[in-house]
Amino acid sequence: MRRVFFFVWIPVAVLCAMPAASVTAQTQAAAPAPQSVPAGKVLLPNKAGSIKFAVIGDTGTGDKHQLAVAKQLASTRSQFPFEFVVMVGDNIYGGNTAKDFDKKFATPYKPLLDGGVKFYAALGNHDDPSERFYKPFNMNGERYYSFKPADGVRFYALDSTYMDEKQLKWFEDQLKMSGSEWKVAFFHHPPYSSGETHGSDETLRTQLEPLFVKYGINVVLTGHEHFYERIKPQKGIAYFITGSSAKLREGNITPADFEAAGFDTGYTFMIVEVVGDDMFYQAMTDAGKTIDSGSIRRIGKVEPTPNRTSQPVVPTTGNGKKLPPAGDRK
Amino acid sequence: MKLIRSIGAMALVCATGVLPVFAQKQAAPQPPKPQVSEATKQKAAEDNANPDAVVLADFQKRVDAYLAIHRDAAKGAASLKETNDPAQIKHAQEALAGKIRAARATAKPGDIMTPEIRNKFRRLMYPVVQGPAAQGTSGSAKAVKADVKDELKENREEQAEEGGKPVVLKVNATYPPDTPLPSTPPQMLMALPKLPEQLEYRIVGKNLIIRDIDANIIVDFVPNAIQ
Repeated sequence: MRRVFFFVWIPVAVLCAMPAASVTAQTQAAAPAPQSVPAGKVLLPNKAGSIKFAVIGDTGTGDKHQLAVAKQLASTRSQFPFEFVVMVGDNIYGGNTAKDFDKKFATPYKPLLDGGVKFYAALGNHDDPSERFYKPFNMNGERYYSFKPADGVRFYALDSTYMDEKQLKWFEDQLKMSGSEWKVAFFHHPPYSSGETHGSDETLRTQLEPLFVKYGINVVLTGHEHFYERIKPQKGIAYFITGSSAKLREGNITPADFEAAGFDTGYTFMIVEVVGDDMFYQAMTDAGKTIDSGSIRRIGKVEPTPNRTSQPVVPTTGNGKKLPPAGDRK
Repeated sequence: MKLIRSIGAMALVCATGVLPVFAQKQAAPQPPKPQVSEATKQKAAEDNANPDAVVLADFQKRVDAYLAIHRDAAKGAASLKETNDPAQIKHAQEALAGKIRAARATAKPGDIMTPEIRNKFRRLMYPVVQGPAAQGTSGSAKAVKADVKDELKENREEQAEEGGKPVVLKVNATYPPDTPLPSTPPQMLMALPKLPEQLEYRIVGKNLIIRDIDANIIVDFVPNAIQ
């Protein structure tokens, strides 16, 4: 009877009471963690004249986790001199007094700001839209805007909390005018996500994906989910979630067919480098551990094409080889 | 025999975990009943329109009237400009708020959110939070409801972590700058009438406020918007 109790009763009771536990275990197993990469090592080509930037999301807490990521970011910059940082929203949590801007932005990123690094922010659901007037966020007083940091790449910051007709029209007009450069959209809510808490924002996907496809957006950077995730290219578009640069939802990633890589057990940021038709990326933790890396290659015609059904984006590893299936990258 | 007893007991344990779910379903609040005034019914009949459409058109008219006040006030106030000093943003908001308050000195709750507009808003929000046909894409109604509840929970947690002054539901009152601005789930925003870009919805506890972004003031509110 005791055996029955221990071997049948307890496991069943645990399974009944904690359905999330198995999800966490699967997530951890699926997370690719290149163990051989020394902490803090930059795997990107780091070529002179390339476009280098970092990505952070859900940052504005002012707590020790934000500080730890900021410190690692500054340390990484000493090896990889990125010129700007993209913020994918929730830039200032809680109050938004002058003190809050100091504690939750100016102080953590002081070494970077002092080093001339520019920040470009998108608004998250916890942000006050009046943040657009805070000059260090480089939003030009607009909820949505675009910028071209260098020849060869253009960024579009969108306000995904209020995706109205006016904004969609602005976005389409901008895309129509765009050239053959890399097109990167960044905003807060992820159109694809395997997060248990929020998941994919399907409404936003319905609104934006047709424009991405029609006008050749190559890469989409988002946050909102407090973890890191790379999505398998959807209709040729590469999607990333970097929402754990200060907040973390441990074990929140649930298995999804569209996930290429995920990490929900630590605080993260990304560094990215554009070299011609290749965009290299590396996701790191606050301790400098590399949790994901690889590259995206643009191939074929990249001019906006009205009847295009998908963007030709091929994900490859950092050394140019095609990535194996996610399950084989443990 | 012991094994059978054991399996029976296990089934009981699992069932007790399921029972509260059924109990919760039964205890779910009922959707608010429509409250439409005789005047609205009459206007709807005259215009050959749905009474709800008349209520929403009235809401739009009241928002437009507020916006006219906002625009007038903005003409004479120091405009919001990009600045390195966040305190300057607050000063500009306060200056605009002062002018709007002066222009709406007699404003009171319900000037924009009249009782029937409040009722309509509660009815619009109910399906997102509680109703069986939660808004969202097909097949994801349950996920949408869970997401909305998670966002509302996140708001409560943030409030508990950050503290700040409690939000007083008062027309023309400043939204406390040291208090978290709770997020409004996108699914809820989709269910509500669109606002001009100067205004936004925020969920404060169970209440819905309309906040003037540029002036950081509460324009009007719906108490107990989330049923």
